[in-house]
Amino acid sequence: MKGFGYLAKEGLRNVWNNRIMSIASVCVLVSCLVLTGAAALFSINVAQVVESVGDSNETTVYLKSDVSRLEAVYIGKDIEKLDNVVSTEFLSKEDALEQYKDELGDELFAQIEDRNTLPDAYVVVMEDLSLYDDTVAKIKSIDGVDSINDHRELAKKLTEISNLINIICVGVVSALMIISIFIIANTIRATMYSRRFEISIMKSVGATDSFVRMPFLIEGVVIGIVSAAVSTGAISLLYESVMSAITSMIPFSYIPLSNVVLYVSAAFAAAGIIVGFFGSFISIRKYLKKEGNEILGW
Amino acid sequence: MIDFDNISKIYPNGTHALYDVNIHIEKGEFVFIVGSSGAGKSTFLKLIMHEETPTSGEITINGKKISKLKRRDIPYLRRHMGIVFQDFRLIEKMNVFDNVAFAMRAVGESSATIKKRVPYVLDLVGLKNKMKDKPSELSGGEQQRVSLARALVNNPEIIVADEPTGNVDPEMSHEIIELLNEINAKGTTVLVVTHEHDLVREFHQRVITIDHGRVIADTKDKRVSENPFAVDDFTDDPHYPDNAVVLPD
Repeated sequence: MKGFGYLAKEGLRNVWNNRIMSIASVCVLVSCLVLTGAAALFSINVAQVVESVGDSNETTVYLKSDVSRLEAVYIGKDIEKLDNVVSTEFLSKEDALEQYKDELGDELFAQIEDRNTLPDAYVVVMEDLSLYDDTVAKIKSIDGVDSINDHRELAKKLTEISNLINIICVGVVSALMIISIFIIANTIRATMYSRRFEISIMKSVGATDSFVRMPFLIEGVVIGIVSAAVSTGAISLLYESVMSAITSMIPFSYIPLSNVVLYVSAAFAAAGIIVGFFGSFISIRKYLKKEGNEILGW
Repeated sequence: MIDFDNISKIYPNGTHALYDVNIHIEKGEFVFIVGSSGAGKSTFLKLIMHEETPTSGEITINGKKISKLKRRDIPYLRRHMGIVFQDFRLIEKMNVFDNVAFAMRAVGESSATIKKRVPYVLDLVGLKNKMKDKPSELSGGEQQRVSLARALVNNPEIIVADEPTGNVDPEMSHEIIELLNEINAKGTTVLVVTHEHDLVREFHQRVITIDHGRVIADTKDKRVSENPFAVDDFTDDPHYPDNAVVLPD
């Protein structure tokens, strides 16, 4: 388009001249993008945990409390004989207690060391996870086996929670997106009102709709880009501190921000530009249909 | 150049602004459109500029029927015209140069062309030495000359001036019409809407008189151009305006 440099300058001038409304628009859009980004990061972290838990071919088989060590050895041999089992590793009740002590601290377990009620167990590694259910059924049928820690159940539950959070986020984010578009549309409308005189002159000398529209679209897009940049900064600051707080309570390895920051910022930029563009587009469409003194409100 | 064939305009609120108007304006003509307030002059201009569309009839400009013009083609029609407003409509924060350049930027002209053309046009209207001034630093007459320069800068075929002397003193009014005359002498068609009797009398140009939405006189006859508002003699005729141009040349 001819004169794009001039139009771009006009668009930037609009943002500055209308800075209070521009800042308001940026704030709303930032809150929307940060929430969306947080939901997305949460979701991909849950997905990773689910994947690692669900795909783990290690399954813990707990033995009944009245099973002696000798019986436990036989049970181990029975499990090893199964087709899909690659290996078994005995985890005594004492070893289990030690593991808990390592993870949760000595103090909590100091008093119950003598009254260890944890069961003996086998950590079983399976070869083919598609035969998981069948293998689990066979292990359960072995005399002396009490229960099996089914990782798939945990994965399923985590996925359900993740899906629920995603649905809530989609609802909240959709509402915020609509609010953002509305606020940006109002910001642009305010700019257009303050520049209605210029618009009426432009139209009277034969400026095309796209020429009149361009500075306002640029204004909306600039608001979107600034919002995306602020949101990326905010997410970067929040992510590490929130994740380290969570992992201190529930230990798991989260996805480092550096792995996803490019995608997050690209998604923010795309979303910011789209929302800014549509916000402007909606408000200017109505205005462009007006002619002459109508534009000036006379 | 401009043809109004049986044009009627009724606004959505029921106001009947024009009744079956027939006007033919040749390329290079200078035409005064006169009439009292509410006569239909503004509607006439709005129809030419395609700010409004006629309820019935057909408008032809430069051989092109514009009543059914597509929205996207309207700007290109307007590029054939330069509009001068009664209230100048200059942008206060811009200086004289930028006010005129604005019209060129709006049609996508390059900076190089703008830098050449704007001083030339400002020179034509006698304001080359005021390029850096803000509109508030100029007299009414000078502001209207800036407005005229802006109308001229894109080299239009038609200048439409809506009460161009309404906000300037009588001496300046004369100068502005004189300027429009000079522009007309170079081949530009000029339409001037006015209610200033003296000016119309002075310049002896074609005068179209509109009253209550009807053309009640369309002549270059001295008797009308000298007294364009004394049209009561015509309006008693029931066949009016068909026989409005009854006075001999």
